[in-house]
Amino acid sequence: MILWVMPDSGARTKSDYKLLVQRFKQEHPGTDVSVQVFTRNILWKKIFMLKNPAEGEAVPDLVQIPHYWTALLTRAGVAENLSKMDPGLSLSSCLFPLRPHCYKPGTKDLYSYPWWFDMSALHFRADHLKLVSSDPEKDLAQWDGLLDVCARLREQFKEVEGYYPMQNSDWRGSLSTRSAFMEIWGRGAALFTGDLRGTLIGTPQFKEGVRDYITLALKNYMPILRERGSLGTMLSGKASMLISRKQGVASFEGKMGVRVKTLPVPRTGEAPQAYLSGMNLMINTAGTDKETALKFIKWCARTDNQMRYAAMMEVFPAFEESFEQLIFSSSQRLRTYSGILASARTLPNITITGTVVEILNKILAICAMQIVEGRFTQASLDIELDKAAKEVEYLLSLYEG
Amino acid sequence: MFDREAYTLFKFSKMLNQSFQNKRQLLECALPALRDLFKLDRVYFFDWQQERALLSLNMMCKKEYCMDMQEDISVLNEPEFLKKLLQDGIADSTDLNYPAVYVLLKWRRPAMTLEGDDVRTVIKERVGVLRLERFRKNRVFHETEKKMIKSVAAEISHNLTNTEIDQAKNQRLNTATALNDLATIFATSLRLSDGLELILQGVQKYFRFDRVRLYQTNYDGTKIKSILGVDISGEVTRQSGDDLPEDERTLLRDVFDKGAAYRTIHNVVYIPLKVQRNKVGFLTFDNLLSRRRIDYLDFISLKQFSTQIALAIDNAALFERVQELSNYDELTKLPVRRFFNEKFAEEIYRSKRFDLIMSVILLDIDLFKQINDTYGHQIGDWALKEVSRVLRTSLRQTDFPCRYGGDEMIIMLPRTNGEEAKIIAKRLKERINGIAVPDRYTNGDRVTLSISQGISVFPQDGDTAAALFEKADKALYWVKDGRRGTFALYGDVADDIPQKENAREE
Repeated sequence: MILWVMPDSGARTKSDYKLLVQRFKQEHPGTDVSVQVFTRNILWKKIFMLKNPAEGEAVPDLVQIPHYWTALLTRAGVAENLSKMDPGLSLSSCLFPLRPHCYKPGTKDLYSYPWWFDMSALHFRADHLKLVSSDPEKDLAQWDGLLDVCARLREQFKEVEGYYPMQNSDWRGSLSTRSAFMEIWGRGAALFTGDLRGTLIGTPQFKEGVRDYITLALKNYMPILRERGSLGTMLSGKASMLISRKQGVASFEGKMGVRVKTLPVPRTGEAPQAYLSGMNLMINTAGTDKETALKFIKWCARTDNQMRYAAMMEVFPAFEESFEQLIFSSSQRLRTYSGILASARTLPNITITGTVVEILNKILAICAMQIVEGRFTQASLDIELDKAAKEVEYLLSLYEG
Repeated sequence: MFDREAYTLFKFSKMLNQSFQNKRQLLECALPALRDLFKLDRVYFFDWQQERALLSLNMMCKKEYCMDMQEDISVLNEPEFLKKLLQDGIADSTDLNYPAVYVLLKWRRPAMTLEGDDVRTVIKERVGVLRLERFRKNRVFHETEKKMIKSVAAEISHNLTNTEIDQAKNQRLNTATALNDLATIFATSLRLSDGLELILQGVQKYFRFDRVRLYQTNYDGTKIKSILGVDISGEVTRQSGDDLPEDERTLLRDVFDKGAAYRTIHNVVYIPLKVQRNKVGFLTFDNLLSRRRIDYLDFISLKQFSTQIALAIDNAALFERVQELSNYDELTKLPVRRFFNEKFAEEIYRSKRFDLIMSVILLDIDLFKQINDTYGHQIGDWALKEVSRVLRTSLRQTDFPCRYGGDEMIIMLPRTNGEEAKIIAKRLKERINGIAVPDRYTNGDRVTLSISQGISVFPQDGDTAAALFEKADKALYWVKDGRRGTFALYGDVADDIPQKENAREE
């Protein structure tokens, strides 16, 4: 079986998977599992080629996908109907918010199966924040407060070379759409209208939300397009805060020996917003070893494997029992994440969601370049967003649902 | 004397002495070799967008394996570093707190351009950067080592050029083979629509476009007639040009005014299909969902191939036009008797098979001979044109009128009973009766047109074409006998007819 995954634990990804596969093989002797790691960018391109592989091209049997690709891959005829393969497969023990993202829209047929999920939160070094705030929880409740804290931290650590108040969590070291969602939602906008037939990308609220996020880079509070690992990291002490989807509080503490606290991402509107993103597994219709792929899916859903994998990747298990085990294992985690989970939102599982995220990523990549080159203007960003809104409207007219 | 540099280079080039399918495969071999040779902890390969001073990470190689990675690094604000890297081909990292060097790679890559109809190959320079890292601070890169690294980088650059040339050649060959296969399938398809379907599916499969569409124009190239498409799931879709949204209707003008358009930003390609000056239609390929850039070589190949498609469509359209001309009466633009008889027989068969009803109206222009004789054939022709115009514009889409001969016309009304046929006859009567011949033709006389109509119904009046025609004819003669300008249903007047028939025979 060939498994395509994304580098969720960075440079460690291949070795992490080696361990995982070893365990699977121990329980399923005689199976052959080969793991191929692709960046999200490359995987996005590759999934469109699954339908028509070139001669001699090895096709995967199982693919890791963000939850909102399910509708697209179902429409493209690439995702196998799991309910047909195994009518007993159920989502009854899966966490509720993840369930709708596994079905073909409008049906009760499963086309992908939950694996794990992550939620965005603000992590900060308690020792650093203590120097600039007597009540970080209060100061970091709102986005403006965050910017204020950034300014104070910048001043506090002005002597430290390569210091940034905020570490950049984007895996490309650029501006990322997923980090902007919470600010956009807070402003009252979203990718789509409630009925999913229109877009809110061109609205003033959407633009304000994007502006909130990129202010971090504009004011030089967060490094962009710089070598990761060299500048502005919490681990090296050259950053104090991080908005991350990973829940690795324990690992921070383990590695750094300093106390790291976690809070909801500061809000830009009335209510806090958290971004919840599920990772699912999809069986390729053109795969040659779909039986092993199905076995792997079921094996991954088992509580012990969920726990092990979640700990390895610093993410959350997708099933209730394992999630509860993890969340109740630490009172700090329970306190922090139960609140975040209550305000968590997901992207809708419709055909064009992945495309819209790609469009916005591209716009933000251009912004990042303009910021570095010192030629960014809000007007140029607004024009790009207006153009994107038109394009998304057109896509919605082509691909409903 | 032992030349260490020459030996190292020899060893390295021996490792790379093989054929690679693409850049990725070459890097998967070269980076681990480099790592082992210089005892590195990690090696990274970046593509360099020189004009933006942006390094885009492509691949990372650590102790156990290589892996795709993505990261963008701007070196715009590091002019010293940039200057040194460009000047010397190697520069120390200014950011990292452990030893790391950047080495420049330069290689060439063939690219295609289209000049008129000629495809030309141009060689473009590509630039990449390797970052070599050692995690222990004391393991710095010495000058002799840097010199050797530069030589090895030159060897990788050389191999990259060879690989890119091989890859381009293979790609061209594969594309040519694929299009040739498609042309063969096309040529052996018996029906044009089947052939086009296969072509579009083949193009989507080979080039992996999200959607492929063929817009066909009407015979004079002024309007989009139909759209044949293959969607992202590979399914064939058909749409009428009339159903197009307003903004898509202007596409025809846009495509032909701007010529073949290669729009990389929008991930859409338009290729006009033209035969001499005839606008046959246009092809569009898009990657709107995937956002993948459409390769320029693919665009050129498809543009060349499109001339074959245009010719085939044009020939088919010509054939259709000839058929149309032979099936329609030139004066009235109504189908001719032979064409009507074919359709009539088909409809009777369908009605019998599915237990359906149908009606027939037989009509002629009252006193047509008199008009002809008094005012000349020109006015007779005018009368025929007027009546047929009303017929063409007053009937439903499913009704089938025909000029049966002289001033006699027949209308087939599928799925229509006698009462419904009478409503249609009444409508025709109202629209035709009273049409006045322009007085300039009649020396000031007031001459108006009127028609007489006889109706028969399937199956009660007959279940063959001949029987239905005969009954409608009898009803028509019943009307003409003193009831000109009106209509009659055979079933309503059948009892009255035998005497009239006898009288007619006498």
